[in-house]
Amino acid sequence: MPMGKLVERLLQLVPVLLGVSVIVFLMMALTPGDPVEIMIGDQNVTAQEESLLRQDLGLDLPLHERFATFLGNAVTGNFGLSFYHRRPVMDVIAERLPATVELSLVALLLALVTAIPLGVLAAVRKNTILDRLATVGSLLGVSLPGFWFGILLLMLFAVHLHVLPVSGRIGFSSEVQPITHFLLIDTLIQGRFDAFLDALSHVVLPAITLGLPMTAILMRVTRTSMLEVMRSDYVVFAEAKGLSRHRILFRHALKNALIPTVSVAAIETGSLLGGNMIVETVFGWPGLGRLVVESIFLRNYPLVQAAVLLYALTYVMLNFVADILYTTLNPRVKL
Amino acid sequence: MRFTKLLALATAMAIAAPAALTQASEIRVGFTNDADTLDPANHRKRETETILRNMYDGILTRDGDMTVVPELAESFRQISPTVYEFTLRKGVTFHDGSELTAEDVKFTLDRITVEGAMDGRTSPRKSLLGPVEDVEIVDDRTIRIHLGEPWPILPAMLPFQEVVSKAFVEKVGTDGLATQVNGTGPFRLVDWRRGDSVIMERFDGYYGGAGDIAPVGKACVDRVIFKVIPENASRVAALLAGDVDIINDLPAHSVAQVKNNPGTDVVTANGTRSFFVALNTQGDIFDDPKVRQAAMHAIDKDLIIDRILAGNAVAVEGILSPDAFGHNRELTVYEYDPELARAMLAEAGYPDGVDLQLDTEGGYKDVAEAVASLLTKAGFRTTVVVGEGSQLSSKWRTRGGEKTGDMYFTSWGNGSLDPYGIFVPTHRTNDRGNSAGYSNPALDQILDEAGVEADTERRAALYRKAEAIVNEDLPYLYLWVPQDIYGVSKRLKGWKPSPDSRINLHDACVD
Repeated sequence: MPMGKLVERLLQLVPVLLGVSVIVFLMMALTPGDPVEIMIGDQNVTAQEESLLRQDLGLDLPLHERFATFLGNAVTGNFGLSFYHRRPVMDVIAERLPATVELSLVALLLALVTAIPLGVLAAVRKNTILDRLATVGSLLGVSLPGFWFGILLLMLFAVHLHVLPVSGRIGFSSEVQPITHFLLIDTLIQGRFDAFLDALSHVVLPAITLGLPMTAILMRVTRTSMLEVMRSDYVVFAEAKGLSRHRILFRHALKNALIPTVSVAAIETGSLLGGNMIVETVFGWPGLGRLVVESIFLRNYPLVQAAVLLYALTYVMLNFVADILYTTLNPRVKL
Repeated sequence: MRFTKLLALATAMAIAAPAALTQASEIRVGFTNDADTLDPANHRKRETETILRNMYDGILTRDGDMTVVPELAESFRQISPTVYEFTLRKGVTFHDGSELTAEDVKFTLDRITVEGAMDGRTSPRKSLLGPVEDVEIVDDRTIRIHLGEPWPILPAMLPFQEVVSKAFVEKVGTDGLATQVNGTGPFRLVDWRRGDSVIMERFDGYYGGAGDIAPVGKACVDRVIFKVIPENASRVAALLAGDVDIINDLPAHSVAQVKNNPGTDVVTANGTRSFFVALNTQGDIFDDPKVRQAAMHAIDKDLIIDRILAGNAVAVEGILSPDAFGHNRELTVYEYDPELARAMLAEAGYPDGVDLQLDTEGGYKDVAEAVASLLTKAGFRTTVVVGEGSQLSSKWRTRGGEKTGDMYFTSWGNGSLDPYGIFVPTHRTNDRGNSAGYSNPALDQILDEAGVEADTERRAALYRKAEAIVNEDLPYLYLWVPQDIYGVSKRLKGWKPSPDSRINLHDACVD
């Protein structure tokens, strides 16, 4: 792909992000609910004490001034202090982000390694009982609400079978020095195989819950595109040439059939971010999703603004990556 | 196929992993929230305080009956209506081994009450210390707190604050104190895994805690862990699975499940949060006290407490909890009588009944619907409308501004159990929690007097009088004070929940 096109696409991101900042700022400011009121809670305070708090949070300024400050600081990556944590929001977010990224990646990996083989199998064994089962399974996968499915898994594997932990990211006996902040990687780097298994046992259930809808979607996409490719002339020709079925499937058909799967996977990864908010709450996963949900209820403006911008940036970047992947895999398509 | 294999593999690995490893002397608490910060002067959340209180002690604390007793202080006395004197214990050390002095106590209080005292910022807890003006060091072990005006609830409010080390704070700064702990409490910080857990271990140099609360001495267990599990169902699952020993905020509908499980039990403490329905006293219907009294007769509190709250609440006839200071025990009880309610409503000019809306938050929907159906039976045809907490709060707590709704099912907490913190905001004209829009100058005057009355008996009498007034005026349908419900493991010994929602693990042991 020409470099110029790439730069052009990147530049297009700027107005998108600017638009998102305006929307997120206004949405937070216009949502009913006063952060100071929520913070004071059930207490008897004087008007002076209240205005002192308002001033301290920077909420005494008019809206346009607050927006100008927000925008000015946001450009430099400074989103101010979290109302509740009383530390820079970027620090608070940075502490919680690795857990979310790690969970999302494991969910993505699980989805890919499950969905692709199942999709191929369903296509190859079209209209058999296996195909039907896969279809019903994927319908369920998309429809089951995450919070319900997650709790079901918890009750089965943690409460009744006692084989997996209920919540958290790693056990308390496993203290791991952070290097990359991804526990599955850090434990391996440090040769702590026991801690690795511990972390893995914690991530399994949330990752399955988070990855389930994606697995279902990817499986359907793989199945459909595989069926399409299997009907194409070059595959028929390969069959006529007498190539083995195995060779046709894996050397010729799969490669092309996976193009839509890969681009859908990249876009769907963005939707994992939304799912994170629910899954992290159910499994007590110390990630960003849960923090954002809590912050919305508390009207913790700076944190929500920064996090939503981060989400938007991630989403836009993933779409961008999807586009690039698509053109790389399928040179007939131009950006 | 491969999916199943993967699941089987994961399960097998988890069996091998020490996932539910429980050490001999460790207590784990499945807790609703993480600490916002570890700086005791820089937060506004009760949950943060609950966690910190195991590592930090205060000048005063409360015993199981909510009586205020000295903790780091040895004794205290009121010298004049605006001056209190505190004598500190000898030989109390911080976790770093340095000794507690009057300097530390003054520094702690100044940091909260002086504007800009925290590296240029003001503590969000300043308002919890009301009119504290100055802290004077009399000698190494004695301090005096000077108030700008009489404020009899100072002793009730001091347990909300924890003492920090001056030298330590000056060394690490406010930023450092957000993540490090050097307190005088029974446990010291091992690790704070943000969003996940706070891990603490026993502090062997602990002075023993409040002399009035037995047992006095070091903590019983080696380690305690506050594990953050915000989702109710997951917290219950963690208790049932044996992953944690205590869970807070056990939902009433899970009480039977936890009781029936062989290894777990349910314990309760009288709560401090009063529930009520605010009636829009500025509206066309509820401006008539007769209609408000009719509505009160329409509600069968005992039925709701029994069926929906699983018996875990105490009915009230006024705003105060039965445990609160100045609670009036002789208030009129409006017996449940839907026929009488209907007749009173007709008498007030609504023979065909009225159509009303009851606003509430999602969490209270079940109970609000029960209230609505009882009201409907008596001619107040009520529809429940669920909204988000802070949005409803903006709609109802208008401080004298115009009100649009009919009824609002809500609550107000009163951690200190002193009427000042709940009566004034909810009942004084145009105050911040007065969602009924109620205004009664005679009551305002009593509340103002009680706020500065130094004589305890006279002050209690004023609040009793105030409760009698509102019990007759009924700006609110006073409902109940629920108990705080905890799920506990049966291996836990020596721990009792506290009415102020604290989880103090100093006395707790495990088998």
